[in-house]
This record gives sequence, structure tokens and C-alpha cells, in this order.
Amino acid sequence: MSDDRCEVTVTVNGEERSLAVECRRTLAEVLREDLGLTGTHLGCEHGVCGACTVAVDGAAARSCLMLAVQADGCEIETVESLGTEEKLHPIQQAMWDEHGFQCAFCAPGFLMTVYCLLRENPAPTPEEIREELSGNLCRCTGYASILTGVQAALSRGAAADA
Amino acid sequence: MKIPRFTYHRPATEEEALAMLTEFGEDAKVLAGGQSLIPLMALRLSRPAHLIDIGGLRELAAIRERSGTVSVGAAVRHVEVERSALVARAAPLAAAAMPHIGHGAIRNRGTACGSLAHADPAAELPAVALAAGASFVVRRASGERTVPASEFFLGYLTCDMGPDELLVEWRLPTWPVTAGWSVQEVSRRHGDFALLGMAAMIDTDPVGRISTAALSLFGAASTPIRVDAAEKLLTGEPPSAALFDEAAEIVKGQLDPPGDLHGTAAYRKHLGAVLTRRCLSEAAGRLGAAA
Amino acid sequence: MREGLAGKYVGAKVRRVEDRRLLTGRGRYIDDLNLPDMAHAAFLRSPYPHAHIRRVDIDSARRMAGVFLVLTGADMARLTNPFLGMMALDGLYDPVFYALATDRVRVVGDPVAIVVAESRRVAEDACELIDVEYEPIAAIANMAQAMDPMRPPIWPRARSNVLWEDSQTYGDVEVAFAGADRVIRERFAQHRQSNQPMETRGSVAEIDPVSGELIFHSATQSAHSLKWSLAFLLERTSVWRSIRELATNREKPRKFVVGARAFIKSHPDLRTATKSSQPAMLKQLRREPKRIVHLSEALLGLLAKDPSRRPRVLAQDIGGAFGAKGLVPREDVALATAALQLGRSVKWIEDRNEHLMVGGQAREETLDIDVAVTSDGTILGLKVHMTMDVGAYPGFPFNGAFFAQMVKVMMPGPYRIGALRFDTTITASNKGTYVPYRGPWAAETWVRERMIDVVARELGIGRADIRLANMIGADELPAAMVTGPPLDVRMSARRTLEEALRVADFDSWDAIRDQARSEGRIVGMGLATFIEAAPGPPKFFDYISPGFSALAGVEPAHAVLEVDGSLSVITQQVPHGQGHETTLAQVAADELGVAVEAVRVRYGDSSITPFSLFGTGGSRSAAMAGGVVTVAAQELRQRVVDIASDLMEASTEDIVIEDGHIHVAGTPAIGVSFAEVAAEAVRRRPGSPSDGAIRVTSEWDGGAGGWAQATHVCWVEIDLDTGLVTIPRYVVVEDCGELINPAIVDGQIRGGVAQGIGAVLYERAAYDGDANFQAGTFMDFLIPTAMEIPDVEIHHLQTPSDIFANYRGVGEGGMIAAPAALTNAIEDALAHLGARITEQHLPPARILELAGVIEAEAPTEVGPPDYSAAAAVPAPRPSLIRERMPTLTPAQAQAVRRTATSVRSGARRFADRYAGRP
Repeated sequence: MSDDRCEVTVTVNGEERSLAVECRRTLAEVLREDLGLTGTHLGCEHGVCGACTVAVDGAAARSCLMLAVQADGCEIETVESLGTEEKLHPIQQAMWDEHGFQCAFCAPGFLMTVYCLLRENPAPTPEEIREELSGNLCRCTGYASILTGVQAALSRGAAADA
Repeated sequence: MKIPRFTYHRPATEEEALAMLTEFGEDAKVLAGGQSLIPLMALRLSRPAHLIDIGGLRELAAIRERSGTVSVGAAVRHVEVERSALVARAAPLAAAAMPHIGHGAIRNRGTACGSLAHADPAAELPAVALAAGASFVVRRASGERTVPASEFFLGYLTCDMGPDELLVEWRLPTWPVTAGWSVQEVSRRHGDFALLGMAAMIDTDPVGRISTAALSLFGAASTPIRVDAAEKLLTGEPPSAALFDEAAEIVKGQLDPPGDLHGTAAYRKHLGAVLTRRCLSEAAGRLGAAA
Repeated sequence: MREGLAGKYVGAKVRRVEDRRLLTGRGRYIDDLNLPDMAHAAFLRSPYPHAHIRRVDIDSARRMAGVFLVLTGADMARLTNPFLGMMALDGLYDPVFYALATDRVRVVGDPVAIVVAESRRVAEDACELIDVEYEPIAAIANMAQAMDPMRPPIWPRARSNVLWEDSQTYGDVEVAFAGADRVIRERFAQHRQSNQPMETRGSVAEIDPVSGELIFHSATQSAHSLKWSLAFLLERTSVWRSIRELATNREKPRKFVVGARAFIKSHPDLRTATKSSQPAMLKQLRREPKRIVHLSEALLGLLAKDPSRRPRVLAQDIGGAFGAKGLVPREDVALATAALQLGRSVKWIEDRNEHLMVGGQAREETLDIDVAVTSDGTILGLKVHMTMDVGAYPGFPFNGAFFAQMVKVMMPGPYRIGALRFDTTITASNKGTYVPYRGPWAAETWVRERMIDVVARELGIGRADIRLANMIGADELPAAMVTGPPLDVRMSARRTLEEALRVADFDSWDAIRDQARSEGRIVGMGLATFIEAAPGPPKFFDYISPGFSALAGVEPAHAVLEVDGSLSVITQQVPHGQGHETTLAQVAADELGVAVEAVRVRYGDSSITPFSLFGTGGSRSAAMAGGVVTVAAQELRQRVVDIASDLMEASTEDIVIEDGHIHVAGTPAIGVSFAEVAAEAVRRRPGSPSDGAIRVTSEWDGGAGGWAQATHVCWVEIDLDTGLVTIPRYVVVEDCGELINPAIVDGQIRGGVAQGIGAVLYERAAYDGDANFQAGTFMDFLIPTAMEIPDVEIHHLQTPSDIFANYRGVGEGGMIAAPAALTNAIEDALAHLGARITEQHLPPARILELAGVIEAEAPTEVGPPDYSAAAAVPAPRPSLIRERMPTLTPAQAQAVRRTATSVRSGARRFADRYAGRP
């Protein structure tokens, strides 16, 4: 199967990684299986639920809709890059304070979507937030707590850290 | 839900890409953003033996204005079209369609030409192309041809391109500054494919009568469609609510849309009238707005 | 950071303990588990809704590089025990089937083979090489087809696709209807829905390389139920081998039998219940004699098996469930079998397409209802006929019939309904398995609240007035539902309604609506009130299924002072989003006088958690686990205080524990730590350190129990051009007793409302008229997004009470009431156009049909025939049915009879011993 393998060099969470992966594998699979970054979740594998959202060169992307080889040369950021359990990122801190999530399977995708949104637009309106987050599905919360979490993050200047 | 095996190719130039298409033909698929192709492959509904990745070809990644057209290259992503000042000024109909396409994360990766070549009849851009009188530059190793949008879309997920051809450019005629535009759709949820949608443009002559009208529907048939009878009715008349109502009834009468899980045929027909009214009224409000 | 209110955590919006790991991507969901040398499984699934399997050729798949094992239904029939329904309901046909399809497929997605390979990719590649010859059979796509005697039975032994018919009467229905001024009739149809948590089902069957022990990691709502089900279903052993095994080693089953006997002895109701269901069980055996063979093999195998060989089930973080992960997946049995065969660990993560097809579907029920009323709107009685489409394969261990019982018992709700006749018809179809979905009995609320609006309309009475006139008020309590369950003095449904009417300014509504109409805006408002047995009155489950309270009505927990002085609570609950690590720690922390962070909540491991078959579900955690943790923590505190008082030479009454510090009241400077107490406890009672220094095991039966209740008010605005419905305002007024964590309570309510809205406006597990599945992706099964779900305004009431652990559940209520409030609002909005809402799913096209804007098309979901005309239905033609029965050769038939007879006598002896008879 050697002709099915592709060389990929990506910067993941600030660290350059070179891998030889089967070309048919998605970025999500390689992040999870080869790099151990299991924070990126697979909820539907057809690009609708948004649980697998990561930042590719700073912009939100569905890592299930991207072959790993398409990320060659890109800079990838996953939820693991945001904060640690000891020192949460302001967006994570706001979500914690506001009870943003329940089962939290969708959380990494939402967090990365918010992270990319705030980087792009440091002062989004509530309507813009709702619209941007509508690409991510949550089955537990009815979204209110997540939207409150984004507002809380904004009011604490989280955009500066995005 | 895992992608079947294929051989991956990353041509360094457009020329190389065309050579690969010549070599692999039917067995190959062009990969640009992959936002439609990858899920189809994950569901194993599409299983090309070769994928030719043109996503990195910088020569195809430009939006340019030249000789009365706005040209969108094959590797230009939706988000670039969405944010392009040139598109907003010189192709406002295309700009108006962009927020309707999927969600932000999809637009960050997907390409406009990829969506056009995919030729999903429920997608926005094919209908925009049809309303705007756009054309497509289709290239093969041995030469290129330009296909008008009216001849490009042949059927469900089928367009006028041979297996060895690449859609290299989407050309939109520079917007007549006096014309008004509107893109509207009805979908079950925000960001879904449209149950029915319309891209419309109208222009008026100096005395205020409609000189050009284009009503292009998506989600209504196996390709995007124009409704000539309604356009004819509008032409030569001053815009008015009563006229738009009349046009709406014609559109409704002309449509023979499919029914499915998300909406019956009768419902889509009805939406044809609703969207005609809404789009024409919005477009009329924007007459001269691009000036 | 101390988050409690005045030194109390219960009642405070304590931030969740689990969130640091979950928010940083360090959670451990099932797909995050990677074991060394782990293989991956994929299932080949049927593309047909109903077909005979004529041939399965796995040779090419097995030979493919990277493939380790391929198993088919024939292998399952050889290696495992079949799933055997355990619902002893008189006349119910409960089928016998294997993890993989054997001779026929019964649903699109039916697993036909499992392939184990080096990766999921390769396993899916190999699935494509398996050659299956199918011979399609006419499919059953809806209730009407199930009742059509010309259609073939999905389960030939059932001889029909009507699996159960039942009728039950409470109160004097004849008198009620004879005294009525009017009888108002309507049919209401709920569509097929689906739970669809963001994480699908999935498991890793780990084989310990040394012991060969099966460690089954799984996203399950109930670790013990899965453990015992797997023990029952896996590793088929012949009866004779088991008996030999038992004869040579009598010690092996002794503990099991002693334990079982003690359990039965301590739950006398169980025995009575078992006795009462015996005739039904015997009937099932007569209908399907092979059941006794399978039952004996499975039960004797379980007895004979070395207890250490029983599987251990482990659950960690779970990405939601809503009921979809409470049953035993057939795939789990195939997965565990494959792992045991290979002797290596195997992972299976269901993909979304699989989860949509076969991961669990719910609520497809049609209810015909007659209401006997007086002309002033007094409801005298109800006649209800529910038809439930349970799909092809029944859920294990709970099938649709169980939930049908719940609908029946809950039918009167908080209303004064003196007479009820409730008929049930359960039909099979070639569709996905019926599973419980967040308030599985919610049909009662939807139909009742919808019907009350219908009655109000018919009689020209106000919608609030008719509710107030018929709803049981505080002055009438205690009372009882006509179906049995008592309503205690804290049942406050009527108060929630009164408060909701005030919050909503209901009296002004009609004028507001009519004003809006005159401006061309279509708006509506709907009300719905419900009560939920969370946990319900004492022994509530006995009203559902006699004896069931003994099995499921008691919640256990351990509270442990570990040897290092730390504190643990060990629960059988398996949280999957509800935040038990926080709420149970809050409860324990208050009792123990420590910080919430000091209490570690442990769960999910069947080898350390106390036994219960219930797991997490039924809105019971707050009441049941909250209650038992209170009890256990109080006892642990007493034990700690006893030792501390010795250490400090003080009287136990003088000991206080504050902020984790144990001291004598008034002298906080002198004290002992939990670590010192732990060290002393170990000195006094040296034992296994894994049991901790002090270990308390408690049980809690729910105490006074009680009801959770709420009234929902939903406002809608409808675009009559597009049929799109928006929800400008949504109010919930609820009373669930004392709140442990208000942020978690509100999150549960909002999430439930969102799913209720999703069900009405967006989501449908749709099949076409030939039972082909139509909603296999998230492009077709539409979960609402942040753009579709409104803000939900929540008002809490709390009926004062001094009962112990006055917590009641809110997990399901949001979803129980939302469809009723929303559909009532839609009818209110469209009433002037003559629209009558009798179905629960209202996508935009349907809204316009009902409003008369467009012409209606025939639906694919066809309900049962009109029961009042049932006599006109032609009788089944037996010859047709026989044609389709599998025929046994005379030799096979003889073998079956022989085995059945010989096993029966052996089994009887064991059954006698099991029940403690001489």
C-alpha cells in the first residue's frame, strides 16, 4: 500500500509534525489517532455537526471534511491548544462559569468556532454569534448556555486571547 | 463511514493537473475544497480511483477583473468571494448568495468553482451563474472552451465537462450599475440546502421600465432554471407589486419541482411564487444601488 | 473558590467538577480509548427492509489483507445465546433473535456480518467484499400495513404483525360515558423520532492478555445492566456441559444462588409478581418451545460460569444518550464475541449513518381518544386506544410494551379523571428499534393537552378555564390517579399553571392575537401542564409492571473515607451530561462539611460500583442518587465523628466539621484532619486498602418520592408564505422541589425544550411506504441549531416541605411538555383558518397544508384503521401465513421436541432450587 501513503508536514498547536499517512485519512483521524489529540471529536463524519472543528491557518474548518494531506503546510490549532486544566483559556473559563455544556462532546468544536470567530471579529453582535454558532450542533443544552458563555467571554476581553 | 482507497495526486501546475486528467479521465476526480466530495466519499457514494488536488494551485486562486468580467479562479474559496470588495461591487448577486452557502467553516474550505462543477441543483451558485449570464472556462490539455451558464448545467450533479476537463474559471459579467439584485431561499434550518431558492436581477431603462429581468431558481429541478415566461412578462413594464404578483403566478405555474422528505412538490411550487415576489421586491429596492 | 451559599453547596450554581477536563479536550469518551494491539470492527448491514438471506459468502473478505475475523449470524447462533424478551405480558409475542441476522433481515441496517480488521477503514473495505444473496419480502412500513393480514409476518411465530393487544379499565367507564353531555373524539399521531446524542454508541471489548477476562468499555447508561446482559448472552454453553460443570463444582454457583435467594427474600413483591406473570411466560413458551432451550442454556451457563469470567463493564465520559444508550446493542454482543474469539481487543464506534438507521428510534404512536364531558367542560372519563409501532427488533431488556404501560398509567396526569379505558395495540414494522427517548411516555401529555384544547374549542370554553376546572388543586390532596399512583400534597401542577397564566398574562392573549391578525401577522400561544414521576410516589414502578419496583426502585451508593483521608462517593449512576460528579459531590459535601472539590464521585465501573440494573435514566438521579448520597454521607459523617471524638476525647455531639476541618465546637484551633481519622480507622480495622478506611453502603427507596411538574407556555409566529414557524417567547414554570444546582436544572429544562421543538418542527426518522429509510444523514435528520432554538424563560416554584431529600427530577420534563405547548400554539395561530393539529410533526410544508395555503399530499406514515370499524377488517388468511412459516424437517422437529422435554425437567429442578423451594 505504499503508493497509498502521503507525506504530510503540519504545524499542530505550534509544533511541526511530519507524518506518512494513508492518503484517504481525514485530518480528524490523523489528529486523533496519530497525534493523540482526542479532543477533536467526530460526531457525524459528513460535515454537519461541527464537533470536529479545528482552526486551519486561523480559520475554522471541519477536520472530517479535510484529508490530512490537504493540511500539508498548514498551521492547525485544536482545542488542546487553548488552555490547560490548570489554566483555562478565557473562552473555556467563561464556558465553565456559565455552565456552557452538558455532555460536552460538542464542546471542542464550539470552542474552536468561537476562538476563530473572535480572532476574525473581536466584537460580534449577539446575532452574529448565533449565526456563526449555527454550524455546530449541540443536543444537550438548547444553546442558551453556550451563547451566554460567548457573551461572558467577550465581556471579559477573550477576543484579545483569540 | 470511512473514505475508500484512492491515489492522491498533487500537481504543481495547472498544466500538470490537466495532464493527469488526460491520463486518468473517468477514474479521476478533482479535489478543490472537498466540502461536497469528501462526505460523498465517506458515505462511499463516490469512489474515484484518483484524486487530483488543485487546492494549492496559486495560479488558480485569484479573483480578477478584466475586460468587463469578474473572474473567479478554480481554487478560490467561498470565503474569499464573500469578502472580496471586487465581487461586492462588480458581482453583487454572487456576493449576496455567499452567506446562504453552508456555514462559515464550510465556506472557509469550499471553493466556488468546486460548487459550480458539482452542479447540485439545490446549490446557490449555479443559479447565480445562470441569472448573471456567467460563463465557465473549461480547459483540457489540448485546449480550452468557454461555456455559457445556460448550456453548462445538464442534469443532477452533471455539467458540460468531459472527464479530462477542468473548470478553471468562473466569469461573471461586470454588474450593470443600475441593476437591482436579490438572492433568497427557504430552507428547513439555517444553513441547509434550499427547499427552493431564487437568484434574481432586474434592470430598468431610463424611463423606469424593466429592461432586463432574470429569475433563476435553485432546488426546483435537476438543474438551476430560468423562467422565461415570467421574465418576458416583466420586460418593458414598470416595476410594481401587481406586476410582481403576476410574475409570481407565472413562476408557480411553470414549476414542476420534485417533492421529498423536506417539502412536497406543491409546497415548492408555492415557494416559487413567494420567492418571486420577495426577490423582485428586494431587487427593485436595489435598483441603482450598485452605482 | 467557595461557591456555596452560606456554607451550603446544595442550591448553589456550583461550577461543574467535570468541566476542566471536558473543556480542554481531555475527556475520555469511548472513541478516545486506544489499547495496544486493538483491532477495529465494522458491520455489514442490510440494504433491504425485509428479505430472506439465502447465502452469505465471506471468503473474499476473510482473505483480504488486514482482516482478522469475519462472523455472521450463523456464527452468532453457534457462539452466543439469543436475545430473549423478558416482558411477561399476557399474549405479547416477544421474539427470539441473535446479534447478527441469521435467516432474514428485518430492517434497513440490520447487521449481517461483523468484520474485524487492523483499522475501521479496512474493515469497511472488507464489508464490501461480502456477498449476500437476499430475497426481498414485502415490507411492513406503517401501522396500516402491520394490520394488513395479507402482509407477511416479520416474526413468523407471531403469525401476525400485531404483537400485542390489551385492554384495561380503571373506574366506571360505562357510567362516565353514559352521563356525558358530549363525547368528543380525535386521533393524534406522533411520528417516529430519534434521540441522536452527539456521540453515537460505541464500545471497546478489551481482552486481558493474561486472564482472558473481558473488560467491556462502553458508552452505556447502565453498566450493571450491560454487564449482566453480556454475561447472559455471551459464550453459549450447552445445558449438559453446564450441568456437568455445576455437578463437579457446586461451590461455583453457590454464591450466585445464595445472593439471588437473598435478593428475592428481601423483595417479597418480586416473588408475587413473578408468580402473577408465570401464566404469560408459560404461554410464550408454548408458542415458542425453543425459548426454554435458550433460557436454560443461558441461565445455566451463567450459573456454571466462573464469576471471575463475567464481564467487567467500564464507562467513562459519555457524549449524551437521552435513552439511546440504556439498552443492550446487538452490535455489542457481536463485538464481544469477536474479541473473545480473537483473544484481542476490538473497538466499534457506530457511525452517524448507523446510529440514525439502527441506533434507536422512538415515539411512533397513534392515539385515538374519546372524552366524555359535560357541557360545562367537566371531564368525566376517557377512552384511549394507543397503537405503537415498535419497529422490528425489540429493545433488550426493555421493549416498547414496557413504555406503553407507562403511557397508560400516566394518562390522567394531574387532572380529575375518574374513569379510563386504555387499549393498547403493538405492531411490528421493518423499522428501527423502539427505544426510550427522554420521557418515553410523553404521548400521554401531548395527547391529553392537545385534546383539552380540542374539548375547549368544541365547547366554547377558554383553554385556561377548562384546565383550571379539571386540574386537581392543593385543597384536594392527597389524591390518587384513577390508574393507581397516589398524588401527594406536594403535587403542584395547578400552581405551576396559575403562575404560568400570570407570567404569560394569559387573559390579554386573545386580544393580542386578534390585533396581530388584523395586522396580517399570524401568532399563537399554547399551554401545556404535566406531571412526571421523578421519582414518583413509593413503589411507582409497580403500577407500570408488578414487581418492578423491587428490581429498580432502590438506589444504592457507597460513601468512602479513603486511607489517605480523601472522600469518595461511588454511584451506580452513569452520568452522560447531567453533571453528577458535581451534584452528588455538592450533596455529600454539605453533609460532610467539606469543600465540593474534596469529594470525588466515582462511577461507571461495574467492579466497584454498587449493583443496580437501572443506571441513569427516568429523571431519577436527583431524587434517588441525591437521596442515597445524603443518607450515605450522613452515616459516613457519624462514623468519622465517632472516631474523631475518641481522638479528641470529646463528646460526639460537640464535634463539628467545617471546611474540611474536624474540631470541637467553639475551639476551631484544636482539631483533627480526615487523614488522621482515616489512619485511626485503618488501625482499628485493618483490611483491604481498596475498601478505604471507612466504607458506608446505603440504599434509598425514594422515601416519600413525589412528582415533578411544570406548565409550559409557547408563543409562535407563523409565516404563511413559507410555513416557517418562529418562537418569539417560551416560558416554563416548574416545581421540582429543592434544586441541587440551579444551573444544571435550567440546562436540563432548556435542553429538553429544544428537543421537543426539534421533534415538532424539524426531526423525523422517516421511512418511505416500502420501509426504506429516508433520514440516514444529518442533512435529512434535522437537529435544530442555535438559530432555531429560542431563549427559554424559566420560573421556579417550590412547594414548601420538610421531607427528607426533597429533590425531584427534571431530566425529561422539558421534552414531555414542549411538543404539547408548541402544537397548541400552532393550532391557536391557525384556528381561524380551520386548521386542526392532530399530528406532532409540523414541517413548513405541512403547516401550509393545514392552513389551506397549499394542497395536501398523502403521508407515508399511515395509522391504524378506524377501530370503531375494526369488525370490517378481513380475518387473516391462515394459508397465506403458513406459506411463509419456516418449515422444520421431521428430524429437526423431533430434535427440538426432545431437547425441550429433557431440558424442561432439568430446568424445573433448578428453578425450584433458585426460588428456595425444597
